Amino acid sequence: MFDKPVRAPATNASDPVISAENLRHSYDRRHFALDGVSFTVRRGEVFGLLGRNGAGKSTLIKAMTTLIQLTSGKLRVLGMDPAHDGQRIRSRIGVVQQGESFDFTTVEKNFDVYGMLWGISKAESRRRRELLLAKFGLADIRKRRAFDISGGQKRRVQVAREFMHDMEVLFLDEPTVGLDVIMRRTLLDSVREEVRRGLTVVFTTHNLEEADYLCDRAAVIDEGRILILDSIENLKQQYGGKKTIDLTIGNGDPARFFNLLTERLGAVASVTARGRSAVILATDPKDALSKIAELSQSLGIQLEWLNVRQNTLEDVFLRSVGHGGETLAAP
Amino acid sequence: MPLPNLLRLVYRNILVNTDPGSLIILVGLPGMYLVFFGFGFQSVASAGGSGNSYLAYLTPGIMSFQVVMAGSVGGSMLWADRRWGMLSQLLTGPFTRLQYLFGIMLTSMLFGLGGSAIMLGVAYALLGAIPTQPLALGIIFATITLGSIFFGALMLYIAALVKSNTAYNSIQILLLFVVNFASTVFYPLSSGLPVVLKVLFQVNPLTYVANAVRGAYSGTLNITDLYEILLLGAEVAVVLFLATRAYMRSDVSYE
Repeated sequence: MFDKPVRAPATNASDPVISAENLRHSYDRRHFALDGVSFTVRRGEVFGLLGRNGAGKSTLIKAMTTLIQLTSGKLRVLGMDPAHDGQRIRSRIGVVQQGESFDFTTVEKNFDVYGMLWGISKAESRRRRELLLAKFGLADIRKRRAFDISGGQKRRVQVAREFMHDMEVLFLDEPTVGLDVIMRRTLLDSVREEVRRGLTVVFTTHNLEEADYLCDRAAVIDEGRILILDSIENLKQQYGGKKTIDLTIGNGDPARFFNLLTERLGAVASVTARGRSAVILATDPKDALSKIAELSQSLGIQLEWLNVRQNTLEDVFLRSVGHGGETLAAP
Repeated sequence: MPLPNLLRLVYRNILVNTDPGSLIILVGLPGMYLVFFGFGFQSVASAGGSGNSYLAYLTPGIMSFQVVMAGSVGGSMLWADRRWGMLSQLLTGPFTRLQYLFGIMLTSMLFGLGGSAIMLGVAYALLGAIPTQPLALGIIFATITLGSIFFGALMLYIAALVKSNTAYNSIQILLLFVVNFASTVFYPLSSGLPVVLKVLFQVNPLTYVANAVRGAYSGTLNITDLYEILLLGAEVAVVLFLATRAYMRSDVSYE
């Protein structure tokens, strides 16, 4: 974001920036929000945490940003233990929380106060503020109180403000919620620009297109466990030979039709039916289409909708959390 | 050279809490008490036969009252930061929890001292005379400092314990009323008071602050006032410990 080189890693460049081994955390000593989570984040990568609400993403972020102490497990951030080196870790990271966080003052003053809190000189703080206000389209609302602006503007202020200080790792907890398409892209491109300069990013999102666009690797987390973890490319390649067929029938008994279709397709495809619709994952879509056509003709079923498409990260996600008929094995 | 963390937090607290609304509450309200009560109750005070100016009696009381106002600002700061997400944001920054806590207490103390100084200025404008002896000013300064820390810590203790902003505000309003009016801020401890009220007066730390400040202000400081300052010091240590413990155990993470 800024001209001068700001990141000189204190740890060995080849060391993981974050390493987690068997992390467990319980808020009530009965249920585990994190239940045996292990992963590493490499320097200079964008690591995505994908999951539903309550999956454990924010708990994981809170642990990595030293806000909570884990029940058990071994966590290292920048080579340090959050339980003992919290302040040293925090002085080298940036955090954009999921919820709002503002001082009860103007947008401009929020930037100034934040710069001051991070020990940025007045002149440099002013320079950064002007750059960020312009870059994130906030110049027009600089004199307005942070709590009087729209949800999307608040989000932009919050993300932009975090770039007032230098950091080695940036934690972004659902940073694009409420942003329009242009601002979302501006934000993601800004993060990419920082990554090219050496920043490591841990990014949680619901939006899988964003994860696809930004992340190098991603973990799908559900019920406190990591279900899959791989590079985005590999995740999609797990389904590389397969394509998805979306099918809706217009008449007849859908249960009978989809049962018969499952039998005919055999092991080369999986069918997940919901009412009159089904999602079919097929290694040979041509063969699957001809079998669908044969069966529908023989039973007098009209095909209302038929579409063949490439697998997306969304398919990977849905299937991994058990919404696509099968659950992927953890790595 | 950047300021140390604690001072940065104090500076930030002052910057974001010195909007006109907050200043009116912090300084305007005690100032109005001084003017309205000082002049309004003058006739009643004279009828009592003391012969002295009620305004002169009230001035050190209102200076002491500032420590409660400053303390309530401290608790409100914690709640505002919690409510607007800045508590967890700051605690993911380069600060420790203790630095944050002491940042608020130091800010409360500065507000207490600043507010008292302003009240002293108002009194000078109204009465044309205020104490200038270094010893008297030193005792006033030390007592206001202790009182601000006491009430700052007390309000932080309450803020750390309660689970909602509404609950905190309700407790604060009730406490402010009892603490202010069951003290020697507005009137002396008289023998005609019911026993319960008398006990409340005597255990109320604001009474110790008001007595010591009034003693130093009017040159009538006695050994009891000095004992009360010592007792206040001991109470500060206890409340500080409780506030720190409650705050360190409270959940600061964002939802």
